[in-house]
Amino acid sequence: MNPVSPVPVIDLSNCDKEAIHTPGSIQPHGFLLTLSDSLEVLQASANLGDWTGLGVRDAIGHPLADVIGAAAARVLAPELGADLGPRPYYVGTVTATNGRHFDVLAHRWDAVLILEFEPVDRAGAADFRQLYSLIGDFLREVNDAGSIESLAELAARQVRSVTGYGRVIVYKFDGDGHGHVMAEDKREDYASYMGQHFPATDIPAQARKLYTMSRLRLIQDANYHPAPLVPALNPATGKSNDLSFATLRSVSPVHLQYMRNMHTMASMSVSLMVKGQLWGLISCHNEDARPLGFEQRTACEQVGEILALCIESREDAADLQFRLDVRRIMVSTLAGLTQGSDFIENLSNVFPELLRFARATGVAVVVDERVLTYGDTPEQEDIQELVDWLTRHDHGDVFHTDNLSSVYPQGGHLIRNASGLMAVPISRIHKHYLLWFRPEYVRTIEWAGNPHDKIVQAAAAGVTLNLSPRTSFAAWRETIHGTSLPWHAGEIELTLEFRTALLGLALERAEQMAALAGELTRSNKELEAFSYSVSHDLRAPLRHIVGFADLLIESSGSEDAQMRQRFLKNIKEAARLAGKLVDDLLSFSQMGRAALRPTTVDMKELVGACVDKLALETRGRNIDWDIAPLPTVWADPTFLHLAMLNLLSNAVKFTAQRDPAVIRVTAEDHAHETVFHVADNGAGFNMEYVHKLFGVFQRLHRMEDFQGTGIGLANVRRIVERHNGRVWANSTLGESATFSFALPKQITNNSNA
Amino acid sequence: MLKPILLVEDNPNDLELTLIALSKSQLANQVIVVRDGAEALDYLHRRGDYAERVAGSPAVVLLDLKLPKVDGLEVLKEIRTTDGLKPVPVVMLTSSKEEQDLVRSYELGVNAYVVKPVDFTEFVRAISDLGIFWAVLNEPPPGSQRYVKPK
Repeated sequence: MNPVSPVPVIDLSNCDKEAIHTPGSIQPHGFLLTLSDSLEVLQASANLGDWTGLGVRDAIGHPLADVIGAAAARVLAPELGADLGPRPYYVGTVTATNGRHFDVLAHRWDAVLILEFEPVDRAGAADFRQLYSLIGDFLREVNDAGSIESLAELAARQVRSVTGYGRVIVYKFDGDGHGHVMAEDKREDYASYMGQHFPATDIPAQARKLYTMSRLRLIQDANYHPAPLVPALNPATGKSNDLSFATLRSVSPVHLQYMRNMHTMASMSVSLMVKGQLWGLISCHNEDARPLGFEQRTACEQVGEILALCIESREDAADLQFRLDVRRIMVSTLAGLTQGSDFIENLSNVFPELLRFARATGVAVVVDERVLTYGDTPEQEDIQELVDWLTRHDHGDVFHTDNLSSVYPQGGHLIRNASGLMAVPISRIHKHYLLWFRPEYVRTIEWAGNPHDKIVQAAAAGVTLNLSPRTSFAAWRETIHGTSLPWHAGEIELTLEFRTALLGLALERAEQMAALAGELTRSNKELEAFSYSVSHDLRAPLRHIVGFADLLIESSGSEDAQMRQRFLKNIKEAARLAGKLVDDLLSFSQMGRAALRPTTVDMKELVGACVDKLALETRGRNIDWDIAPLPTVWADPTFLHLAMLNLLSNAVKFTAQRDPAVIRVTAEDHAHETVFHVADNGAGFNMEYVHKLFGVFQRLHRMEDFQGTGIGLANVRRIVERHNGRVWANSTLGESATFSFALPKQITNNSNA
Repeated sequence: MLKPILLVEDNPNDLELTLIALSKSQLANQVIVVRDGAEALDYLHRRGDYAERVAGSPAVVLLDLKLPKVDGLEVLKEIRTTDGLKPVPVVMLTSSKEEQDLVRSYELGVNAYVVKPVDFTEFVRAISDLGIFWAVLNEPPPGSQRYVKPK
């Protein structure tokens, strides 16, 4: 058997597995008791005797008064009610039976009352007066501090003056959890960590979690020997006690080693919580062990909280300002977009704004096989490949990275101008993308020690194996390649918003195109009908004029004066008809173009006005107008007048042979529409040809029987249909005709009618 | 006896001009005038007002395209789809050479498509040529009589 046992390799990632909130022991600069609700001692730290002279065995199962004395217990008892929460609360300063004074912190957690006793020199209560003036000063100075850095520096100075520690640093965590020292206050002989970076692994995940729960940690002496709890398991839970909130909680041996490696014997850290997140830490170091009283710790905690609040408001303001700026660019970009009809060209018109929008150096629009670029971008083929990759991997609505080559290995050669990429699909259906590129930003990070030097191996056999974090904190420079400046959360959010706006615009455009197409189809049809009419109906009278004029010339010698007279009359009438045709055609085409201006129309008034207008045509005729009560409708009065006039004029025309002529106008009220009928007892028409009745230039009668251009009923139909209504007609040939139309009660301005 | 020419024309002016042109061409054929498509079909089918007419198809139908009730294209279609009427020569007379009308007419089997010239002299020549071609020169379907120019 091989005697060589494997060398244990312990790296800091093991720390992630260490249950640091249940160490089972405390730091020995005070003692801890756990109590039941009846204040009976359940557990005591093994060092109880060192502080009280009373053995642990004599304490377990006894009332609190037996352990610290009746007087002390009397002071504490009223403070130990059910309202105690997980945060340690100062419940008083007591003097134990042996005469020693202790500050007592109490909290309720893990189903027990936890009392922590820290020795003090004074018998009286902790004095916070000094704290008030200190905080007051800090608050005053905070108001004058401009930047977050100067605020942090102020806090560091305050904390050092309160604690007397050799070095106080404020560091901020970046997105990856690395800490960056942004402020420092130190004694001259201490090494400076200012500007340096601490790798994320220095603070394992569960420590971070603990830091967010409990705001302050203190290690007075890194060389302490932990005092275990007796009994080891919490009687209330049967498990190791959860000491997450206990001030005396013993820390990980790895952390103690870390401190020793850093030549720090005492340390304290205060969490900086911004918007519920661990934003950073105020970290205090001292080369020698150094106790720190409760009131001083409280002062530091307060400073930390004020600093966090200030950071929050400053960051909010800065973030708001940033978003406002980006939004302003976005709005002007969108404004520039809405102009042209070609979407891609529109986007390319606002390329400079798009660059500014995302603080990018290159931008590209990809529409199928088309790639338009602006600024410093990769080659077209590279962009196409990149987009192919993006479409294959669903990245949601926006994809962003500040280290493209790490997720897109084939993009290694794009590092120079495309280390950063933000991409949004700008079509729901097609492979259309908008891409922003940021160049590589080579950074030199100064680490507090080589962060990659994590794996510590026990040297040779026989050497005590220290659980060992890195040993060097000497500045170590690292150059970071392949990354761009990070994308701001505001930029990403506003890019999403921009995308939504783009999609909206595209949709709006599609609708406009559809409407335009409908409009074009309609005008085209009308144009065709128009030109057809012009070529047929308008040409005929011209031909007649020429024909009869020729005949007139030819017959100039003839004696037939009557014939010449007729030719002249024909010429005159053809000319008149040509004129009327032109007028009618123009009115017809105008009717198709003009917008409807609907309003409430009193049909009784409207019909009355039409009848008046027909007075000239009806002179000398015996016409019995039978106008029923008529309702009001919602319609364009001018158009509707024209339609009604056409119908009534037709009725007058086709009843020319009747005496009396009876023309009846009636209305029917239905749920969704109002129906009007214009009935006459005139010539009527053959129902066989009713389908042609409303067509342009369709006539059912000979020209010499009834004059007209064949446009009237076409006009009626168009007017009614533009109101989304219907027209129809009924007739008994030679007896009567009824023309009807229905207007919907709620019309939409339908331009496709 | 000579077959008549059936002239289908609704417009009174066109009618007068065409009749003058036909008279100038000195054709001996009788000219039957009907005023709309429906009447033309009545004549061709020998029904309605024409139920009593002498049997036989016209030498040629001069058909206006735009007619009340039943238009020229519909009349043409009916002729070409009716046994007994199929062989009758049809000449479309129209004001325009709209492509759609031209295409449709030939699809329906028109024998000639003539745009009425604006110039009257030309119009007379066109009508005259048409009459001579269809009534005189054209070999009529079997069983019909040839026109013999009167001495």
